[in-house]
Amino acid sequence: MNVTPKALLFHLNAECNTTRARAGIMKLPHYDVKTPVFMPVGTQGTMKGLLPDQLESLDCEIILGNTYHLGNRPGTEVLRKAGGLHNFMGWNRALLTDSGGFQMVSLLKLAEITEEGVKFRSPYDDSEIMLTPEKSIEIQNCIGADIIMQLDDVVQTTFQDYDRIKEATERTSRWLDRCLSAHNRPLEQSIFPIVQGLLDKELREKSARDHLTKDVNGFAIGGLSGGEAKDDFWPMVRLGTGILDKNKPRYLMGVGLAIDLVVCVALGIDMFDCVFPTRTARFGCALVPKGQLNLKQKQYQTDLNPIDENCPCSTCKTYTRAYLHSIVTVETVACHLISIHNIAYQMQLMRSMRENIENQTFPQFVQEFVNAYYPDANYPDWVINSLSSVGINIVKP
Amino acid sequence: MRFTIKQATSGSERIGTFTGFIKSPGAVIETPTSALFTQGGSVTHITSEVLSKIFTTPKLLWVPLSNSYQLETGLKAQGQGIAKFAGLSGHVTSITPHSASEVTPVGHFEHGKVPLWTKNGKKMITADSYMDLMEVFQPDIILAIADSRTSLGEGYKRILKSVDRTCGFLEKCVDRYKGSKTLQTSSLIGVIVAAGVPSKCDECITHILKYKDSLGGVALAGLTDGTEESLKLVNDKIEGIFARVNTKLPKNLLRIVEGCWNPAVVLSAIENGFDVFDGSYPLKLSNVGHALALNFDLNQNDSEPCILDLNDERYKEDFRPVLAGCECLACKKHTRAYIRHLLNTREMLSSVLLSIHNLHHFDQFFKHARHHIASNTFKLYKQHITKQYEAYKQPLTNGVNEHKGKTALPQVTKKLKVSDEEMHCS
Repeated sequence: MNVTPKALLFHLNAECNTTRARAGIMKLPHYDVKTPVFMPVGTQGTMKGLLPDQLESLDCEIILGNTYHLGNRPGTEVLRKAGGLHNFMGWNRALLTDSGGFQMVSLLKLAEITEEGVKFRSPYDDSEIMLTPEKSIEIQNCIGADIIMQLDDVVQTTFQDYDRIKEATERTSRWLDRCLSAHNRPLEQSIFPIVQGLLDKELREKSARDHLTKDVNGFAIGGLSGGEAKDDFWPMVRLGTGILDKNKPRYLMGVGLAIDLVVCVALGIDMFDCVFPTRTARFGCALVPKGQLNLKQKQYQTDLNPIDENCPCSTCKTYTRAYLHSIVTVETVACHLISIHNIAYQMQLMRSMRENIENQTFPQFVQEFVNAYYPDANYPDWVINSLSSVGINIVKP
Repeated sequence: MRFTIKQATSGSERIGTFTGFIKSPGAVIETPTSALFTQGGSVTHITSEVLSKIFTTPKLLWVPLSNSYQLETGLKAQGQGIAKFAGLSGHVTSITPHSASEVTPVGHFEHGKVPLWTKNGKKMITADSYMDLMEVFQPDIILAIADSRTSLGEGYKRILKSVDRTCGFLEKCVDRYKGSKTLQTSSLIGVIVAAGVPSKCDECITHILKYKDSLGGVALAGLTDGTEESLKLVNDKIEGIFARVNTKLPKNLLRIVEGCWNPAVVLSAIENGFDVFDGSYPLKLSNVGHALALNFDLNQNDSEPCILDLNDERYKEDFRPVLAGCECLACKKHTRAYIRHLLNTREMLSSVLLSIHNLHHFDQFFKHARHHIASNTFKLYKQHITKQYEAYKQPLTNGVNEHKGKTALPQVTKKLKVSDEEMHCS
């Protein structure tokens, strides 16, 4: 038993008898988060036009902020004076921040990665900036999220050069040590290491095993969901969950499509994040059990049904598809309304999974879910294969 | 609809109520008041859920047809009118062809028609097609179609045409109104144009009053052609017009003023017996990142500016609410620094929080006006507010302070941009 207070206590309530799925509770300084959990992304300290009160009513227990963006604006000085991001944005529940490394590599063409860190030109004033593991943790300490991420050496998921992937994977482990020793608030914030290695089995295994030896409260699996084939994606997730400590939460970064959530929960993942639900909302796409509705399409012009008649969200209770059709991509209100629904959809999906795991009905749930998701019973191979790897044999109805 | 003057003072200012709306029977709207400006049927930036957090009683909604025209097909299919369709049942809706604050191209008139500038371009509207649309939109209040897009400096010939066309439109609208069971559940408002040319304005008023028995009130238009202009107009000039029109109108008629008017002008209009404003002013402020912070306490002379430009760097580390003591949701929970950050990063929540504050505060401004009329202290209130507005030496001008992508109201950014960082997920 631990006597010192911990920044994260993870308790498993139930484990699925068939798959690797598990349901638990992750006690964080700001909130007790029920897992498996989907974490909506509020990049700049706000969730796309929604009030913190609305996020609470939607049952969001933890949301994401982006270190790179927050470090630039409003900047660490302001955040420090405000008493951290929680205070600054008026959000009392849990927060997670990324390390900032991903944005640097994806947004900045001129990023140069060395052993010291990531060197890049600031898009704000063109000055040269070096983001080191120490700097990333310093900013994240200042933001004050409950869970923070190590700086990792990011390479494009579809990148082929073995030597570079190997270097990045090993460097990620070295950077982890630097992050851990730079961490100033271990009693309030937990650093998660990131398992790297792209699509290389051995490198990933090595990465996961390295991280396992560290005194950390949870793990992330990174470098996936970057355009690789689904057949390449799921075995890497499965590999990770097979190695990582069962008693600590596992976070799969950048994944949020409904089918991916269901498969990866079955593979043993506890936490997910993705901008997809709110991003797609802005284009007028609403999430429903059979996938998505693009509300811009003319067929919804006179459709007086709500987005989803079984959805209890405030949008579905008040608005028709026809009304939303007439304002999507024109009025900001449309974006807020669909974001509300899409977040509600994700939350509902995670809630159903938790309940089914706890009731030992998860395999049946998965079968029903894929039936609804693929009404033509045209199940992709990767779905069939990934699920069968953890004991669920999908049958055509 | 029933408009009742509850109390008038020695001056022309009055407090009243309008009630008896067939579509929203429970609603009681106290006047003077401002409507809430809508786009596409929704209060701009505010969902029905958020609106219910700002106001707990039914409000008057201002619905310009130009920005809600695209709702027609859906409304037809639904058949229950604009308030229900836009998720705002219980609120009172008032439709006008276009907002006086819109910036639109000049000209494009044809015989018997006015152009409606919709998101899909120009639609030529006749009185008949307008009233057809009203049968579909089923608002509580219909402003008759008019040729009102003229400024005070407009040429005489243009004014002649404007009055002529407007009179013709009204005849037709009244005709249609009387002949339709559906339309009779709404109230029709006659629109006064040519405000800048006394003789023509009088002619227009006389013409409107011929139909008095069919009308629920009048609206004064033809003062400006777009927001920028209305913000520049000096109070003296416009006050004179309000005063003149006041003497020409019977007391018992509900009076509306269209346009984006600052608090000082609004109080001049109220002083001259006007009852309802269109709500474009607080929206205009929200869209450029400004927060209204009037001091309503007559015993306190505050030196703080009555409008804060929250884009300003000076608020970067200002962790106070927009306005101390303000009971709005934004002030109770958020800070100037946070709103400044949201403006700086062009986040949509900035418009939401500013709208929450500005709508609440503008509503309070009218509530205090009603209170002072009731206690016969309106003159003092007017002085107190006007002084603050005049001390604020930088009225919104020529759009210099506006951010890119947030141009003059009521156009929202056409394409909702996806920021780069959001490529995170496949």
